[in-house]
Amino acid sequence: MISSLEILIPKNLNEALSLLVERKNNCRIIAGGTDVVPGLQQGSNRFANSELLIDINRIPEIKSITQTREKISIGGAETFSDMLQNQIVKEELPLLWKACSTIGSVQIRNRATIAGNFVNNAPCADTVPALLVYNATIEVESLSSKKEISIGEFLTGPYKTKLNKDEIVTRINIPIPSKEFRGDFYKLGRRRAVAISRITLAVLTKTQNHMIDEIRIASGAVTPIGIRFSDLEKLAKGKYADDKFLKLLSQKLGEQILNVTGLRWSSEYKLPVVQQMFYQLLKEIEHG
Amino acid sequence: MNKEFSVVGKPVIREDGLDKVTGRAKFADDYKFPGMLHAVMLRISSAHAKINSIDFSAIENDESLVSIITADDVPGTKKVGMIKNDQPIFCNEKVVTPGDVLAMIVGESEAKLHELVKKIKVDFTPLPLLTDPKKSLETDAVLIHPVEGSNLIIHHPLRKGNVEKGFAESEFVLEQTYSTQLIEHSYLEPEAVVAIPLETSLGVKVIGSIQNPFTTRRFVSEVLNFPLSKVRIQQAHLGGSFGGKDDIMCILSARAAVAAMKINRPVKIRYTREESILESYKRHPYVLNYKVGYNKSGKIQAMKIDILADGGAYASMSPFVTWRTVVQATGPYEIENVHTDVRAVYTNNPYTGAMRGFGSPQPIFAQESLMDEIAVQLNMTPDEIRKVNGYKSGSITATGQKLQNHEVNLLTVLETAEEDTGFRKKWLENKKDKSQLIEYDFSSPIINESQFISPDSLIKKGIGLAVSFRGCSLGAEGTDAASAYISIQNDGSVYLDCGLAENGQGLRTTYSIIAAEVFGISTDQIIYLELDTGTTPDSGPTVASRATLMGGGAVKATAEILRKRLEELIRSEWNLKSDDEIVFQNNQVLITNHQSPITFKDICKLAYQRGISLATIGWYKSPSVGWDEHVGQGDAYFTYVYGCQVAEVRVNIATGEIYVDKVTAVHDAGKVINMLGALGQVYGGVTQGAGYGIFEEVTTDKGFIRELNFDQYTIPTSKDIGEINPIFVEGKDIYGPWGAKSLGEPTLELTAAAISNAVYNAVGKRFFKLPMNLEEVLLSKKLRPEDLKRGSK
Repeated sequence: MISSLEILIPKNLNEALSLLVERKNNCRIIAGGTDVVPGLQQGSNRFANSELLIDINRIPEIKSITQTREKISIGGAETFSDMLQNQIVKEELPLLWKACSTIGSVQIRNRATIAGNFVNNAPCADTVPALLVYNATIEVESLSSKKEISIGEFLTGPYKTKLNKDEIVTRINIPIPSKEFRGDFYKLGRRRAVAISRITLAVLTKTQNHMIDEIRIASGAVTPIGIRFSDLEKLAKGKYADDKFLKLLSQKLGEQILNVTGLRWSSEYKLPVVQQMFYQLLKEIEHG
Repeated sequence: MNKEFSVVGKPVIREDGLDKVTGRAKFADDYKFPGMLHAVMLRISSAHAKINSIDFSAIENDESLVSIITADDVPGTKKVGMIKNDQPIFCNEKVVTPGDVLAMIVGESEAKLHELVKKIKVDFTPLPLLTDPKKSLETDAVLIHPVEGSNLIIHHPLRKGNVEKGFAESEFVLEQTYSTQLIEHSYLEPEAVVAIPLETSLGVKVIGSIQNPFTTRRFVSEVLNFPLSKVRIQQAHLGGSFGGKDDIMCILSARAAVAAMKINRPVKIRYTREESILESYKRHPYVLNYKVGYNKSGKIQAMKIDILADGGAYASMSPFVTWRTVVQATGPYEIENVHTDVRAVYTNNPYTGAMRGFGSPQPIFAQESLMDEIAVQLNMTPDEIRKVNGYKSGSITATGQKLQNHEVNLLTVLETAEEDTGFRKKWLENKKDKSQLIEYDFSSPIINESQFISPDSLIKKGIGLAVSFRGCSLGAEGTDAASAYISIQNDGSVYLDCGLAENGQGLRTTYSIIAAEVFGISTDQIIYLELDTGTTPDSGPTVASRATLMGGGAVKATAEILRKRLEELIRSEWNLKSDDEIVFQNNQVLITNHQSPITFKDICKLAYQRGISLATIGWYKSPSVGWDEHVGQGDAYFTYVYGCQVAEVRVNIATGEIYVDKVTAVHDAGKVINMLGALGQVYGGVTQGAGYGIFEEVTTDKGFIRELNFDQYTIPTSKDIGEINPIFVEGKDIYGPWGAKSLGEPTLELTAAAISNAVYNAVGKRFFKLPMNLEEVLLSKKLRPEDLKRGSK
């Protein structure tokens, strides 16, 4: 049961950032509430002693999607439904678009926001593998500072990020990938909607005559946080993408995941499946 | 003058539909009263413990607290139960499962009470845990209820012919063990109830999300030590039940009533989802051993069945649930020699009771898997083996009952399903694709190069079927009768009420259709009254898919009494000859060879003027059934329904996902009264049955449930189930309104078995343990997290 809470709705970014400074000990930011409200309901430690919720839904600075020649910039409080309806996202960032489409249900996507998906850095955050392979950067603001860091740097550990208590994730900036990249996003849950991810994978590759020019690989849910596999990416560079190599790469992914996580109760299932499905994903991308 | 049905069998929109989609319908938690208090439960973190003392001193003087309610405040029976009185309203001596409630604190602020309840100190001594039902009957097992003398809740034996002789004469003998899981009803609306003290002479009123108002009344009256007439139960709109809002709501109603009468203010109890899943009863997990003897023609000679049901901490409905199992355990097959034992036992697990299907989905999974296995072994198709053994008119069941007085449509539903789906051709085609699931060796977690699945063989298609017969209504469980009340107003509008309760299944609409058909008026002329035990006649519980059959029978009988009065009035008023026919149709009354039609309204007005009563209570009683409990023989139910479902699936052999693409559900439910209601039953039942087959499982760790909310307990969404194709075969029957029988439960009981057989057809691997979740399909086992911590790990 949620005890009574104060909720304030600032109208601009400055107002919100000021509130974070004034009330820094007992306040939490709320956007869609799809993480905060169940967390409060369950009495999660993450929300212990919360007395004030700052609702950032009506801050125009963090509610838009813009495009320049080099990048797409998504406001932190953009909902997944807004992103799914956005043609730029759909055409230029298909992996992110697909990741958004697998999240929750229509009702959840209508409320849940992109920054909300990764600010608590849960391992199963669906957008993270896509943001990782797109080399997204995160814009973070406080009253006194403004910084932009890569998503990989931002996500420091399970349920931990570089976000300070007085800061808000204002924008997610994504360099527009060259048209030569092909890729896909894969999610496995226990059912086909409203499912917590058991495995997520994102792959982006650039090949020339079946030679791997560049490959970017990221996972979620099978690792303690969403990560890029730079060793595999280096290994694959310049390799001929034949069936034998794709199998090898899939086995290597399994080894890397095993190294990072060790054996867990779910490994017996997840490890073979992640290798198989990564292989399927690579084959699919190869065949276009 | 034969006439076609005017409304029966047509699609009629449910009478509460608009109110429900616009939010006007009032559910239990929507009821609020001046001075109303809330109650919050005290539990301890133990599945089996002796309570030494409860120390309330830390909260006693808190201003948020109005009252503490313990077992000492219960004026009447302190232990209640559906069949055995083994469940305390408040557990002051010991707890036997984590859902148990020791006491209740009452106050104005629910939030404050939740803080206070944490401060109560309970001194308890843990007792040895019993969570494995297979150990319940061992001689050194701890007794859950020592006063019962044993952990055996019930044993139903059935003996027919001589199985040993049958096995000796069989060319083949096959033995298999199956298991099914604990599952949650997953009604959308968690439990909520409010008890209101009435004026002194009137007793108490309870409004709640109550499946069975008359059972609830019995519990409350026993607990308060009130006569039945001083307890009024009013049913609020119900946000789902599926058999799940029976004993739990009786007990919550009793707790609220005890508090309301003590404090003399209305008291509400409402549960969160977590509390609901923690305390409410579930579906029985079964372990089923089947031994079957048969010849190469496929003819079954003998079947020996041994079934163990985990009843959990309380007996609840276990004796009746397992009774249906013993009657139906062989499936709809004529077998000369049958030897069945079904036992239910106590454990410290969450208790189990009634749930849609009621002891049938478990044996159907076993027996239909077995039939397919025999078919494959004998090189027959699944439909062939069933045709060899399946019930026909005049067949004798395992209980020695001759099937008569209704169309025994087992083979008709089977053939209909087969033709509609092209079953045999697809089944044989899929069977050719022999590729197997990969056997992983987990000692080397990195898979071999040769084990990678080529993308074009990732997905395997399968088709499977399952058939069943099902006894309608209560059978030999108990008295089976229902009554209805109809009052026609002098403008021709009609009040209707019945003692069976709307559980969301659309019973009010079904009854309105039946009354409208008899009176020849439109359904919008009928106002359905809310069920209140103070004014509605007792009709027993709304269970066992008996509402249309029994309540519908009562509504028809009642309407016919009043129509007869109107007919008599017309005959005398217009001096009709005895062979002049009177037809009620289109809101009019037509008389053969007679003047222009008279409106129904005018006839009712005339009756009023002539002083004829147009209000009455009518009755429908089932024919008698019989049962010899020592040998499990007798006419268990007075009629039966038959069903066949065909599941078409795809299996992803890399992930173990099962995609249910299409389920064709052919049911003989007798005459369909409301086509929309019937379709709804099939869509819902199949979806629920698929969830049972591939997703759902309540798992426990030392008696504690891991999945306390729907983030972890996964029921199917609309995206998980493909097309559902309902087909109705309307078999004739001498019982029920125009031969209408049962549909609600048959729709659910077959789906898991049909899916399992389809998965076998797809991948050539048979599954013996439900649910067939990702791990089961791939690794033939379940994987469990080590602890109860929530969230993805």
